[in-house]
Amino acid sequence: MIKLECEIEKIKNAIYQTERITGKNLTLPVLGSILFIASGKSLKMRATNLSLGIEIEVPAKVEEEGTVAVSGSVLTGIFSNIFQKENVVLEEKDGNLLIKTKKSQIKLKCQPNEDFPTIPKVTGNKFEIDSKKLIDGIKSVYYSSSVSDIKPEISSVYFYSKDDNLVFVSTDSFRLAEKKIKVKNIEEVPGILIPFKNVPEILRVFGEFGGEVEICFNKNQISFSSDNVYLTSRVIDGIFPDYPQIIPKESKTDCVVLKQDLLNALKLSNIFSDKFNQVNLTVKPKEKVFELSSQNNEVGENKTYLDGALSGENVEVSFNYKYFVDCLQSINTDSVSIRFNQSSKPIVVSGVSDNSFIYLIMPMNR
Amino acid sequence: MDTKQLWKRCLVEIETGVSKANFSTWFKNTSILREETGIVYVGVPNEFVRDWLKNKYHKLITKTIADAYENMRAVEYVITKLETDRQELSNINQPYLNKELPLKDLYINPDDNLNPRYRFDSFIVGGFNELAYAASQAIIDNPGTKYNPFFIYGGTGLGKTHLIQAVGNAIKEKYQDKKVHYMTLEKFATDFINSLQGNKANSFKEKYRKYDLLIIDDIQFIGKMEKIQEELFHTFNTFYENNKQIIFSSDKHPNHIPELADRLKSRFSAGMIVDISEPEYESRLAILKVKTQELGISFEPEILEYIASVISGNIRELEGNLNIVICQYRLKNKAPTLAEVKNLIKNNIKPKKNVNIKDVVKTVGEYYSLEETSIYEKTRRKEIVKARQVVMYLLREDFNVSYPLIGQKLGGKDHTTVIHSYLKIKADIKNDAQLLQELEQIRALFK
Repeated sequence: MIKLECEIEKIKNAIYQTERITGKNLTLPVLGSILFIASGKSLKMRATNLSLGIEIEVPAKVEEEGTVAVSGSVLTGIFSNIFQKENVVLEEKDGNLLIKTKKSQIKLKCQPNEDFPTIPKVTGNKFEIDSKKLIDGIKSVYYSSSVSDIKPEISSVYFYSKDDNLVFVSTDSFRLAEKKIKVKNIEEVPGILIPFKNVPEILRVFGEFGGEVEICFNKNQISFSSDNVYLTSRVIDGIFPDYPQIIPKESKTDCVVLKQDLLNALKLSNIFSDKFNQVNLTVKPKEKVFELSSQNNEVGENKTYLDGALSGENVEVSFNYKYFVDCLQSINTDSVSIRFNQSSKPIVVSGVSDNSFIYLIMPMNR
Repeated sequence: MDTKQLWKRCLVEIETGVSKANFSTWFKNTSILREETGIVYVGVPNEFVRDWLKNKYHKLITKTIADAYENMRAVEYVITKLETDRQELSNINQPYLNKELPLKDLYINPDDNLNPRYRFDSFIVGGFNELAYAASQAIIDNPGTKYNPFFIYGGTGLGKTHLIQAVGNAIKEKYQDKKVHYMTLEKFATDFINSLQGNKANSFKEKYRKYDLLIIDDIQFIGKMEKIQEELFHTFNTFYENNKQIIFSSDKHPNHIPELADRLKSRFSAGMIVDISEPEYESRLAILKVKTQELGISFEPEILEYIASVISGNIRELEGNLNIVICQYRLKNKAPTLAEVKNLIKNNIKPKKNVNIKDVVKTVGEYYSLEETSIYEKTRRKEIVKARQVVMYLLREDFNVSYPLIGQKLGGKDHTTVIHSYLKIKADIKNDAQLLQELEQIRALFK
């Protein structure tokens, strides 16, 4: 018979976080609910969709310990419409959960909670990392993952340790993003594949959070834990492609342009690109020409010229607009370096004098 | 012990003990992996399921298994890959995985039209093509001077395109400043026609004349294109005068290309004309071995030997048949047995032809301009004897007819006579190039 009192803001946040990880469309209805566990001086909220599991602990004044399961979507509905700032009292009575604030009284049906599963506690190697670094690493690459399930190995964010870096990589085989994050004295990480579908949730849970995150992993499972949050995800059992061999070591044409100029020009080009998002790029270093162009029979066409430092051979390539724009968000410098090796080899994009991030785009065939 | 059966029985039992929702959530994709000294290993798809089975259903599972299998001492849960079928598929796809990015590197370079895949590394040299290979090496060493033009001919799918493109690639690598261009005759023709339409005949001339090495594939189609013959003639002359190499390939000897202008014929003959013939057994086997190695697949030697022995002739056919076997291998993820391979490619093996003996006599007779009946006659006229021996040789060698039957059909000859004729021709062709050529031409008539 649960009975407790707790700060409304804290419980509200915890509900938002956990509700996203409840299992929707699963055969077991209890997975759609959040499990409340009141014990000691805290309330634990737990949810899982059997691919991810989360547990958030909030401080509470527990009068009676106990466990209840309530529908996650109903809870978010309720709490997004309670705007008071005081404490909230939760009390279980006759198979119902009573939610009381000063100005509202809510009675909510409970789900039978004995079928609510446990969340695996991961055992294995551990290391700590600043959550900002972790998020930066994942965020810099995850948009390049393959969306389809056909090849689970690349429908994932891959990370491994190398020298003093934690290296994050994603590819959908048309483009590839790699971000290196400096972590001192890092534990050896052999290479972990986090399912792409779980990545947005990981970003959301730890995106706002500042502080150290402890990562624990083995070959089946990975967990991220901070003071009050425990998040665990299954990992993909597979081998990520041997990508370093395809990163070109040298280049025949080098360009440096301002990121903002490039972004504006690309966006403009996109208005005129065809259904394949094709944008053409012509670089003629001797004539100082860096031209982006696109045409569409129904809309019209455009050409944009950018100033920049250009050197090497002339080159003409076409690429998918989306692939190019995607990577700019991960480049933190004002200038972008673009390197080419003839028109049929991958285009290499990176920040100027920043070798932590590298991005490859395959050109389109004309 | 049949673990599959055991688990099936257990699942039926368990299903009655838990709710349907729970059953389908937790027991889907589970299996018994193995049993060792009384410990039963249950395979589960992920950690979530393992945790829950251990915490919630352990008793039920233990009891159910114990009821069905009395030697059980303990139950362990092991995470295995989900849905073995799908996983296998994606494993097979693995070799393709990292190819997508680099594969595009291999696309044909628009400047020279050469496919970088065609290299000498992957070119197999055997008796059937060693002359062509040697000549092409000489060309790479001295482009433009040694053998110009280089004319290479041979049947379809024997590696002509591979060879000439490999020459292009090698020259491109060796002499960085040389401009190489590969094209088919058809491209040359369309370019020419387009230039006529656009009144740009001059730019057409310039376009081709700026190259240092021009490779034109499938030149045999030039027969009926008079205007293009003329243009090619001029282009050729420019190349020749400037000591620039030009390479042609064709499926026929220039003398056999119908309606080819004499001036081109003589120009082609001025350089080097070589042929590529059909690969012999050893070369076929070598090709299969290289091909499988490239793909990182290993088959039993007798499988490759079998394919090499039954598929004769064309290399393309040979690779096609190998691909069928490889595809099957990837699909099932296990090496096929010889019997399976036989079954797979049985439709692609050309049956030994059952040719009417009369037809053979008639064809040979026609070839030597003799009356059909004269071959059956008992005469020792030199030309007839030769034709008769050729008939016997062909019947035996190509159509596997028995000696007595040949003798009987050819005017009641003794089988020893037939054997003598067969051996005589067989010995003669080793020394007599003329005879060998005649035989080849007669054989061509049967196709």
